[in-house]
Amino acid sequence: MNISLPNSVERVLLDEATIQQRVQQMADIISTDYAGLRNEEFLLVGVLKGSFMFMADLARRLTVPHRVDFIALSSYEDSAEATGAVRMIMDTRVDVARRHVLIVEDIVDTGYTLQYLYRIFGARQPASLRTAVLLSKPDQRKVEVPVDYLGFQIPDVWVVGYGLDFADRFRTLPYIAMLKPSVYSK
Amino acid sequence: MSLFNDVEKVLISETELKERIAALAAEMNAIYTDDDLPVLICILKGAFMFLADLTRHLTFRHELDFMEISSYGRGTTSTGAVRILLDLAKDVQGRNVVIVEDIVDTGNTLTYILRNFAARNPASVRVATLLSKPSRRQIEVPVDFIGFEVPDEFVIGYGLDFAEQYRNLPFIGVLKPEVYQRS
Repeated sequence: MNISLPNSVERVLLDEATIQQRVQQMADIISTDYAGLRNEEFLLVGVLKGSFMFMADLARRLTVPHRVDFIALSSYEDSAEATGAVRMIMDTRVDVARRHVLIVEDIVDTGYTLQYLYRIFGARQPASLRTAVLLSKPDQRKVEVPVDYLGFQIPDVWVVGYGLDFADRFRTLPYIAMLKPSVYSK
Repeated sequence: MSLFNDVEKVLISETELKERIAALAAEMNAIYTDDDLPVLICILKGAFMFLADLTRHLTFRHELDFMEISSYGRGTTSTGAVRILLDLAKDVQGRNVVIVEDIVDTGNTLTYILRNFAARNPASVRVATLLSKPSRRQIEVPVDFIGFEVPDEFVIGYGLDFAEQYRNLPFIGVLKPEVYQRS
């Protein structure tokens, strides 16, 4: 189960048990907040690729009915620096109007992507619009964005695993690890 | 919880899923090496939960990509033609590809997908599916990794839906007939 740490990994920041416990807590809170809604009224929107693992673990712990949808944004996979520009490659399958929308993201750093999603989905007249984000790097923030359900605040280090990648590697580690600076500063 | 009320029975429990998926991953670990650097292609939406649990166990280097497809109208046609809503972000030419599916029933959709992939000239293509319904098969289709063979019942949960419901159940269940006969 990815037991031996890859050479490029400096150390584990959040182990599997810690993540699972926190995701369970988030699911409990979200299930309480959205209690009473019908399946078609509550929509989880996962942002690919990074959120697929968080989405899988969060969704199966929710006790409230909901639909799952995915969107894909353009990514700059060869660049270590995130920029503000985002492009929607795949939109939601269903119209979000009058639905309670919960955006599911792996990480918020500068805040640009989340700000973009707030603008796009906010303009579509959802019944409500909130965000569930596993990780936040507050030191990286360039724009203020509200995060309603947050997993962990982490320092400004390069993290991989649990959906997060470096040049498309390490995405499926079941834990979140710090990458050795020598790997990404090459 | 109302979701559970519509479940006739649990066909595959959470524990059984977990154990079998770990075993499937071990099969893949025995085949692929870091140098193969396969691309696992998750067919959305159904396969996302299977992908999340399968890939956590992989010990070889790999990459992920996603393809979202949608059938034309209700159900699958005999040609298996599907609309690609999201195509791969990667060029898979010369790459080792593993298609990750939630279920293979008639085989028509998978055949269509395999043809689509063959046109992209990958080095190799294998298929991993969580579920297979052999009694429904209309066309022979190669499947390399199968989680469970299931009878011809209406299965839901663990990524599989009925009218966009029940996807998030942590087990594979059988839907009560009155639920799908209602609509």
